[in-house]
Amino acid sequence: MYLRLILKNLQHARCFVPCAVLLSSLVGILTEPIAAQGTQKPPPPLTAPAQGSTEALPLASPNVPVRETVPRFIDWAARSRPDQREEVRKMIAASSANSGAAEELCREISETQNEDHSRTLIMLSVLGEMRNSEGEKCLIRFIHLPLPTKGTVVNGEIIEQTSLATLQGKAVDGLAYARSVTADRELLWAVSSHASKIVRAEAINAYLWNHQDSEAARAALLKVVRPNERDLIDRPRHEPGTTREQFNGKLIVYAKMHPAPEPQKRNARKLSPQEGVGDGPPPEAAKRSPTTPPKEKQ
Amino acid sequence: MRYQFLRWITFAGLLSLGGSVNVSAVCNQTSVSQADKDLWALHGCWTDFFLWQYQEYNLSSNDWGNRGWNDACNNNLEFPKTWNASFLVTYGLLDNNNQSFHGTTDYRQLAESPDSNFKDAVYYDATDSTGIFGSFTYHWPGDDEISLSCNLFNSSVANANPASRAGDFMHEGWHGWLTEGNWDNGSAGGHRPGPTGACTINGCDYFYFHGIGAYAFGALYQTDGTANRFHSPNQVQVEFLCDVSDQPQPWVPASVRQAAAADANQRAVQRFINGPGYTCGSPRPW
Repeated sequence: MYLRLILKNLQHARCFVPCAVLLSSLVGILTEPIAAQGTQKPPPPLTAPAQGSTEALPLASPNVPVRETVPRFIDWAARSRPDQREEVRKMIAASSANSGAAEELCREISETQNEDHSRTLIMLSVLGEMRNSEGEKCLIRFIHLPLPTKGTVVNGEIIEQTSLATLQGKAVDGLAYARSVTADRELLWAVSSHASKIVRAEAINAYLWNHQDSEAARAALLKVVRPNERDLIDRPRHEPGTTREQFNGKLIVYAKMHPAPEPQKRNARKLSPQEGVGDGPPPEAAKRSPTTPPKEKQ
Repeated sequence: MRYQFLRWITFAGLLSLGGSVNVSAVCNQTSVSQADKDLWALHGCWTDFFLWQYQEYNLSSNDWGNRGWNDACNNNLEFPKTWNASFLVTYGLLDNNNQSFHGTTDYRQLAESPDSNFKDAVYYDATDSTGIFGSFTYHWPGDDEISLSCNLFNSSVANANPASRAGDFMHEGWHGWLTEGNWDNGSAGGHRPGPTGACTINGCDYFYFHGIGAYAFGALYQTDGTANRFHSPNQVQVEFLCDVSDQPQPWVPASVRQAAAADANQRAVQRFINGPGYTCGSPRPW
């Protein structure tokens, strides 16, 4: 480790002062206790195994208003563990004919989409899994919501636009799962004409998955997909339970069609401010003083 | 840590110059996302963990004082949300040799502060800037800096969940790996200018595709200097998010897994010149 530090520092040693500082730092490092020198410390052991959601609550119940049952069910489903996936599906299926619950979900999705993205994802998932006709109408309306054209820009991306498109991607999952004539029609419209590539890509993925990745499904997609987006049909899918062999076999073929150029080294020299920063302008010079430990409450 | 001695000199110098704590505006501190709440509910508020986390991630009261440093169990605030994401990195992955892209040891070394095979030592602070998700800044002398923006904390933003926040630890940490190895990943904040190829934003990467098992756990930092064995920041982030989505510990909540998959998938579609990347998670709604 010391040799690597010396080599790195020598890259930057272009004058006397940095060299003197370097020497001082090495003296400091070498006289420090070993434990303080870049060693990972083990975290506290996770002694009490964390418990996920346990108490199942119905999505709809005869004598309880959906305004009460739906949010409680969403709370429970959001916390559910991977091994509860089938249990959640059964609970949703048990209420799939309840259009009141679907309408309530639709109302809450509209209310929450700009406040809590992760909760909205859960609600759209539940609504899609219901396969309810009112729910389908809601999902169709949702994918047609216009994307914001103004907002917070990060790397040229309007993040409010990405946020809505990601939610619309979850909505097209529900439409694909419905496998109805109307839902499939909307799905194929999304493949060709949705304003967001995120949604177009997910519509293709969901359509293929719901048609067992069949040749007929590929053919149907090829009729509507944008010519420059045909690659979206060939993407490997990594999902829970996908084995190494299944995934790697597809990836090898895909990677050959999508090669990356050789990575480039930069010259060994002191980095300019632009080169020394990732993802944004350099913040102001750091001013740090020794810290006190955090507290639960002051 | 690297350059402790120099940092001591720097601190002493700043103190002598009257350097003061810079307390600025803060992010939205009145709400928390469903995914953050659900993960939080699993540990309550674990004092031993956050007392470990602030040291291992090199957080300071100077940077986090008005962001929950002295209210570390209030999950509306930035510091609690940060250590909640660290909880996911530290304990939340299954490390399945047959199905995970990388292991906890990789993601921990990449995210945590100490100097390692992955990068030089870093420290974390927070910024009110909303023009970034996070940023990496090289400092010489001294530890490198990872800044986390309000876009990772404000619950109205898609990335304000523990998986995406932790994904940003990986992304920014990988800028540290690129810097340490003297790799040139482009002039747009350490990425290629865009849109270009299949990338739709300004800040594009290549996806150096590799299969499951191509890297032993702990070997993510390795490269042979060619495209056959290399990673870009967005790629590492997608691989981490896929591992959260598809290979989590049995207790990771659905809201965290779904947020991870959604982030991985939008990133795979938008950010790769030779993309799109593969999809993660199941297209079945539930």
